[in-house]
Amino acid sequence: MTDMISFPDVVNWAVPFFIAAILAELLWITFKGRGGRYETRDALTSLVMGAGNVASGILFGFIAYGLFMLLWRITPFDLGTSLWIVALCFVLDDLSYYWVHRFGHRVRWVWASHVNHHSSQHYNLTTALRQTWTGTFTFMMILRAPLILLGFHPAMVLFVGGMNLIYQFWIHTETIGRLPRWFEAVMNTPSHHRVHHGRNPRYLDCNYAGVFIIWDKLFGTFVPELDEDKVDYGLVHNLGTFNPLRVAFHEWVGIFRDVLQPGLSWRERAQYCLMPPGWSHDNSRGTSEVIKARYVSQHPELAGTPGLPHNPIGQAEKINAAHKNVI
Amino acid sequence: MPLSILLPMVVLGIAGIAVLLHVLGLSHRAILADEGAASRAWLREFPGHRPTRVILCQNRLAALVKTEQGYGVVWPMGADTTARYLTQAHITADAKGLRINLPDFTAPRIGLSLDPDEAARWLETLKEPA
Repeated sequence: MTDMISFPDVVNWAVPFFIAAILAELLWITFKGRGGRYETRDALTSLVMGAGNVASGILFGFIAYGLFMLLWRITPFDLGTSLWIVALCFVLDDLSYYWVHRFGHRVRWVWASHVNHHSSQHYNLTTALRQTWTGTFTFMMILRAPLILLGFHPAMVLFVGGMNLIYQFWIHTETIGRLPRWFEAVMNTPSHHRVHHGRNPRYLDCNYAGVFIIWDKLFGTFVPELDEDKVDYGLVHNLGTFNPLRVAFHEWVGIFRDVLQPGLSWRERAQYCLMPPGWSHDNSRGTSEVIKARYVSQHPELAGTPGLPHNPIGQAEKINAAHKNVI
Repeated sequence: MPLSILLPMVVLGIAGIAVLLHVLGLSHRAILADEGAASRAWLREFPGHRPTRVILCQNRLAALVKTEQGYGVVWPMGADTTARYLTQAHITADAKGLRINLPDFTAPRIGLSLDPDEAARWLETLKEPA
């Protein structure tokens, strides 16, 4: 088993490119007067969140790497480091990313880490850098464990993960409309990812892809960008602060406040951690399914259109009731 | 990349972009053009909670909103807006207008620029039953 394999730390090396691309997008928007929006405090918060993400990687990266090296020691497989194996690792890691990201939106414990990436009401290249500080504590690195056990070296898995993140940087823009049909069919694009950042009911919880949009098409979570429903960026309930500490930790605080409410059963306390964002024991809030169903009840003519259910009026409450009985 | 290069690049990059954005005039706060705009901004956060009364402040930077559920406020978040109900809010007048403290980790403090008369009127209004 080869322990010492070295791959470049591509995300850190990409930092100059990130800065140059942000400046290029900003100048384009300024001189063309279209293609997106920038605002000083919003962008500053996003950039500080990005720097904090790098710092948290330096501080806590050893936990995921330690787990991966442990798995590497016990696996009997070693697929080597040929170009084809790196390419295969990239594709499988992207599949793994799809599920990590999907859990990131459907399990509140994981959402608590990911929510900050969606907390900007803008969508530009700085938004791409508005990344989590607490990803390690979601334990989602476990979804990458099968790659190591299959014989992909941990350093390779981290390398392709970095490449995946770099790919996702450039799709956080409004300056690019739609790309050629073949590209939109296979790859994640600015158009597909704008939808993912939408707070419009139809755009909630869809397009989880990192690099290949085919995963969303395969698993039934793809929603196209519709000209008649312009994407409204941000959270269902937008933040009232630019403070990076509050942006980074607000959902964790929300979880702990909910879990520590008096009078709850242990099951309800667990549900506050593990059910989708918006779940509550007394149905006083709404998950994305409830929001979509309510929206359809107000706009019945849109029932069954992309991203929206066929549900009749009252279905929202039934969904909430069903959620109560899951765990 | 060595930290000795990465760290200064990140710090200078962030500072440089922030200064550039400010110099380009991109630090302006959202202005609520009229009561209709304030109402739309409210409904964006609370769809279905239709305002029954909207009081736009003179500088059009915030609005007091009344719905069947209670009073709330709309205010700018940079070039955009957000809104909150004033349930359990602690509201005090200060030299700039009103200071609202909310038991909400995502919006703990809202500073509203109101002239003294306007601030007094808002405080009186908030004493009325919703």
